[in-house]
Amino acid sequence: MENNSGPLSPHIQIYKWQFSSLLSITHRITGVINVTGFFLIVLWILFLSLGPEYYNFYQKFLRTFVGKFILVGFTWSFVYHMFNGIRHLAWDLGYGYEIKTANLSGIIVLFLSILTTFFIWII
Amino acid sequence: MKNHALNKWIIQRISAVVLIPLLLFFLYSLVNLVNQDYTGALDAFDNYLSIIVFTLFLIFSGLHLKLGLNEIIEDYIQDESIKATLNKVIILYAAVLPIVGIISLITIIL
Repeated sequence: MENNSGPLSPHIQIYKWQFSSLLSITHRITGVINVTGFFLIVLWILFLSLGPEYYNFYQKFLRTFVGKFILVGFTWSFVYHMFNGIRHLAWDLGYGYEIKTANLSGIIVLFLSILTTFFIWII
Repeated sequence: MKNHALNKWIIQRISAVVLIPLLLFFLYSLVNLVNQDYTGALDAFDNYLSIIVFTLFLIFSGLHLKLGLNEIIEDYIQDESIKATLNKVIILYAAVLPIVGIISLITIIL
């Protein structure tokens, strides 16, 4: 490799996918999704401060099918990132490295993120 | 830059921990707010607790997303000049959004 000014990761073309790595990349992907979600949150506060016509426009959009999908989708993304983030924090403290434990905590994170999203919006 | 790596790592984790209760409070507020009309939404911000929590949420989110995006850039972008440009864009994004949000919150309570 020429111009090697630093290592790149991961080498996706030769990588064998596993449950753990899938959850790991999902953590990044949801992180990036949350960055765009953050924009919508700030926009919502901005529109609320600008007055009823702006706010109602935003609210009307959120009540459409696309708006609801965005709300639920972003909620899952934030909640998943939070739960998997807690999993990462546990690793940082030195817990849960065994393959069995890591797989189990991954399943729990996935399950909890879906369950929480469901509870937030359906119930 | 490498001297700051540990600091960044620690701030990333601290902001993550702080964001857990803030996110939960935000989601709880969101569910209540989404069905409110304009005046109902304004009423929800008529207490200092909401304003303080939302302000903290904006600040720590900005901090956390800046560090997270920096890390992604570090992993996937090799060219130093592109990296530097992208990191500037990230700083702008991570600073402007919380500032706009906080100014809006102040406008709402005034």
